[in-house]
Amino acid sequence: MKKIAAAVLTMALLLSAATGCNSFTGNSAEPASQAGSGAAKPTSVSFYLENEIPTLNQFAASDNIAFTVLNNISEGLYRLDMNDEPQPALAESCKVSDDKLTYTFTLRDGLKFSNGDAITSKVFRETWLEQMKADAKNGYAFILTDYIVNGQEYSEKKVGADQVGIETPDDKTLVVKLKAPTPYFLSLTTFVPYYAVDMSFYQKQGASYALGKDNLVYSGPYMVTQFDAASGVTLVKNPNYWDKDNVKVDTVNIKIIKEQSTALNLYKAGQLSRVKLSATDVPSYKSSKEFTTHTIFRTNFIQFNTTAEGTKNLNIRKALSMAVDNNTLVNTILNNGSEAANGVVPKSMSSGIAGKTFGSLQGTLMSYNAEKAKEYWKKGVEELGGQVPQMTLVLDDDTENKDVGTYLQSQFKSVLGIDVNLDSKTKEARRSLMKTGKYQMGLNAWGADYDDPMTYLQIWTENTNSFRGNFKDTEAADAYVKLIEEAHAERDTAKRADLLVQAEKSLVVDNAVVAPLYYIGSAYLVKPNVKNLVEPDSGILELKYTEVD
Amino acid sequence: MKKYILKRIVYLFVTLLVIMTATFFLMHSLPGTPFDEDKISSLSPAQQQQIYASYGLDQPVYIQYFKYLGNVFQGDFGTSTLYSGQPVKSILASRIVPSALVGIQAVLVGLAVGLVLGVVAAYKHNTPLDYLTMIVSVLGISVPNFVVAALLQYLFGLKWGLLPVAYWESYASSVLPSLALSFGVVAQIARFVRTEMLTVLQQDYILMAKAKGLSPAKILMRHALRNSMLPVLTILGAITVNVLTGSLAVESIYSVPGIGSLFVDTIKANDYSTILGLTVFYSAFYVVVILIIDVLYCVIDPRIRLAPAKE
Repeated sequence: MKKIAAAVLTMALLLSAATGCNSFTGNSAEPASQAGSGAAKPTSVSFYLENEIPTLNQFAASDNIAFTVLNNISEGLYRLDMNDEPQPALAESCKVSDDKLTYTFTLRDGLKFSNGDAITSKVFRETWLEQMKADAKNGYAFILTDYIVNGQEYSEKKVGADQVGIETPDDKTLVVKLKAPTPYFLSLTTFVPYYAVDMSFYQKQGASYALGKDNLVYSGPYMVTQFDAASGVTLVKNPNYWDKDNVKVDTVNIKIIKEQSTALNLYKAGQLSRVKLSATDVPSYKSSKEFTTHTIFRTNFIQFNTTAEGTKNLNIRKALSMAVDNNTLVNTILNNGSEAANGVVPKSMSSGIAGKTFGSLQGTLMSYNAEKAKEYWKKGVEELGGQVPQMTLVLDDDTENKDVGTYLQSQFKSVLGIDVNLDSKTKEARRSLMKTGKYQMGLNAWGADYDDPMTYLQIWTENTNSFRGNFKDTEAADAYVKLIEEAHAERDTAKRADLLVQAEKSLVVDNAVVAPLYYIGSAYLVKPNVKNLVEPDSGILELKYTEVD
Repeated sequence: MKKYILKRIVYLFVTLLVIMTATFFLMHSLPGTPFDEDKISSLSPAQQQQIYASYGLDQPVYIQYFKYLGNVFQGDFGTSTLYSGQPVKSILASRIVPSALVGIQAVLVGLAVGLVLGVVAAYKHNTPLDYLTMIVSVLGISVPNFVVAALLQYLFGLKWGLLPVAYWESYASSVLPSLALSFGVVAQIARFVRTEMLTVLQQDYILMAKAKGLSPAKILMRHALRNSMLPVLTILGAITVNVLTGSLAVESIYSVPGIGSLFVDTIKANDYSTILGLTVFYSAFYVVVILIIDVLYCVIDPRIRLAPAKE
């Protein structure tokens, strides 16, 4: 007995001695956002991410969690300012040719990575070429190859790098040639896959690139001093950053907290500067001064399969879209800061015309109308030979989607008098069903890759994806594709915007391929001493301008 | 004894191979790919082909299987797709440390408290002390650990500010998660020890010991406890594996960077190599613990040692 006890104890001690010491990340110093009064005291803020950081390798990063960190430790030619407008960053200026096909960027003087390597136009060229390779791990090759001359061909290994439309006449000049006029190209350069990577360092590191804080080099406002995928990162000011005088916060802690209640407890304990509220917490904090809401460019919608039983009928689809009251959905079901959707394109998205949002051009597309919905349903059922079709809605098996699904179910029942089945699946399973077209309706969502309606409207023209809904090979579908193609080629921004407005109308109203539901939003509490915390519509945090007092 | 252990080790490898094979094919029958399909669909077919090829996913599943087996025998578990480029081995190594520390502490606390409670309950059978102990253990079993975790976090972390609310920053961070996890262990052990002790205490040899005039304490420690340890050891194996490999709920409540959520996250993302690495790790751990327990049986109960091998 004693022997066993002794053995167990020794084993335990050994194990904890061997394991315990190095695993702790150390104290993140003083409580967050309790900045000192004088300039002498270092300032810090603390945020959190809701899931682990998959990677800090720019060529592998594909989600907002990785982008949130990368966006603040790296920099591109342009960066979004506090009003979501692209402003020169590593580039000092940019000249656009009259035909809008050639962009000539001039870099600032004396730019350096955190390790002292110079940031030249060649750095950008090499980074972009690497990202264009089809096997770039993030699957984001298209974000460059869609625009840059010969990008697609280079990616498919049909032409050499010398034929790609990126030229570097000298160390400070980068000339980019585009396939078609792209009014949002500058805003594209504010997106992480366009940022500068120290390619010589990248190659030297090989497979270990970005695995730890020492396997990274930084071009942005901050650099990483502590990195653990499962517990978070600590950022400090980058002394080699060109605009370091305008970076006001010394230390940014970004933790990983998966549990909303934990985050709220930490916020109350003064260890977090901002916390996201769950829908159940919203009512109790709504009147607080620290309460804010924010929507991002991500739209949730019902995707109809235009060739499936029942939903192949246009009137049936129209009836189903009109039977949904987005305002009730947002205000009573979700109650989390989301906004009722008007179309697939978020209202505040840029139209390409200065000072005009896409929403202001589009006007009202969607409105809840129970009477009309009933009429369309009756007409549709008649066209289908009097048979009332049995409907099934596929959706992801998470709480939010299930809540939305249940609401839709009840709405279809009360307005149209039909029983719709809910079929909840894992995301992968749901996508694969929708990709192969084996569904009637599905709950789907799309987040913008850049600030232009094309990022949404284009997905209904691509080969196979879980969005298309088999909307192809018909007159209406061809007409839609034609509108998008014309918009791609159009050089006049006003005409282009008009084509896109028509395209969205055709998609949502005339053909009812999708029924937009809501733009995803969140409710937050923010500590009053944190200023200028910018969360652009992309949902990727911008911490460069943050101040603490 | 040596022969027995050797035989068990051979079985162990066969078991692992079977588990690996089953997991491999089940996992590949899940819908989807390791990539964000919505993003991949923006690429041209030629580009898509290249990205699948770079992960070897363009080949038939059985070829992928043999390749994987070959790599595993060379000690290479591949790299993760979810945690892009990270070797599976290093992911497991860094995640298991916090989970194991929390787990070991939970088992030790649970075992110590559970044993004491169980023995006291059995010795003071049918007294208020016994009832109290059993109420505690029924609570421990029926209240889920995430409720305990949230309660402890609120009281010790937020209200009294004695221990960290969450994070994994110093040794103090491991106290609350360990306590939260140990509740269930205490309850299980206490109930088991009590039941076993009660049976043992009615045996003739206890009566004999009493007749010899041994003190109650000696009877309890020397004769009763040792004999009631055997079944406890059986469940202790399962408890240890369970607790050491992390708890999804407790780890996410305390933001412990442990292994608990890794399974769920990687299966959702079709991260093939990490799923397999984890499965192999879990099963190897389990099988080894079972082996150790079996060996410990012999130490505790000499009768098992004496049983002749069949062949």
